[in-house]
Amino acid sequence: MKYLIFDAGPIISLTMNGMLSVLEKLKQVFQGEFIITPQVKNEIIDRPMKIKKYKLEAIQVKSLIDKGILKMSTKIVPQQKLDKETKKIIQTMNNVLSEPSTNEKINLIHEGEASCLAFSNLCGVDNLIVIDERSTRIMIENPKALEDMMERKLHTPLELNNNLLNQLKQYKFIRSAELLFIAYKKGLVGLKQDKNLLDALLYGVKFKGAAISSTEIEDMKKLI
Amino acid sequence: MKEVKHIAKLLRATKRCIQENNINELKNLSNQTIHSATISQDGDNIIVAVLIYALGKIFEREHYQKMQGWELFQKSLIKNLGLSIKSLESEQIDNARTYIGRIRNSINKISGDLSRYIKDVFVKAQINKAFKLYEHGISTEKTAELLGVSLWDLASYIGQSSVADAKVAISMPEHKRIKIAEEFFG
Repeated sequence: MKYLIFDAGPIISLTMNGMLSVLEKLKQVFQGEFIITPQVKNEIIDRPMKIKKYKLEAIQVKSLIDKGILKMSTKIVPQQKLDKETKKIIQTMNNVLSEPSTNEKINLIHEGEASCLAFSNLCGVDNLIVIDERSTRIMIENPKALEDMMERKLHTPLELNNNLLNQLKQYKFIRSAELLFIAYKKGLVGLKQDKNLLDALLYGVKFKGAAISSTEIEDMKKLI
Repeated sequence: MKEVKHIAKLLRATKRCIQENNINELKNLSNQTIHSATISQDGDNIIVAVLIYALGKIFEREHYQKMQGWELFQKSLIKNLGLSIKSLESEQIDNARTYIGRIRNSINKISGDLSRYIKDVFVKAQINKAFKLYEHGISTEKTAELLGVSLWDLASYIGQSSVADAKVAISMPEHKRIKIAEEFFG
């Protein structure tokens, strides 16, 4: 068993590109479960269900839960346990960067992203997190780069707490773009298989919020 | 409310810009608010950032000033800006919040197209400021929460920016990430 854990962003970019059916096909060939946490469900179903502009999208995503394509994390890890671990992660990650003059901590992440990391900690099997937003990913994979970027943007020096960072495990991340790359390579997209399609898929998710650069997309296209 | 003096100073400058019809300075003022909002993530600071940005947009659209209801909006704006500044100066924070809130609520008193247009400007200003916080390094979900905007709205806005093309966003060579994905799917 293994778990592919979804943050809200990838579901949003796939939905906005009309690519939820690809998720269904990927699930059929995947030896594991696609997981969403209650915090992520709130962002992709519960809240948009109340916004007329996005209600149809919310209904489409909900149907994936009804069909068992997306499985709620609560069926594997009790919600109370997940909430406790989520709070712990928020506490850690939101104390990593601070402004030394005021010692004010910078709150970088939200419970949606934190709950994905929390589930990864608690699930006890091989797992991979699908996350389209950059801050959480960079904080884990290259925290110094995030610190440098924020210092430039804020025109003020910041302090990185490496002791706290060391408490976090090395999570594995992919984005909706890599997911579509896999689907393309396996011939699961259901459209004429050529390089135009791959280009369209990758730029499609980029323009709907996936934090992927044009350079990375071009590199990816060369891997086919 | 954090940085009361700073917010009071910004509101005084906003009022002056409106009275002098200095739209460019009004827009610059809005940018000054976002650095401190990133660190403090103070709700009042964020509300003021949205307000000033929206006012910049509203006042640059000169045709709004010829529409029915404009005078009522402008009168209420100047009055409530003045009252909020006075409240901040006397450290009556709750009163200041009320008067700042009344500026936005005054749109509901205008009938017709202008009300709809101004409401739309405020919604877009919220998304713009959320994007600015994201640009400064705060996560999408955190910025959506702080600004009270939908992640769905924010996704398209972020997608059309060049934020993801910055070198900092490339935290792993692409072939490595693809390898992770391929090994996971088998």
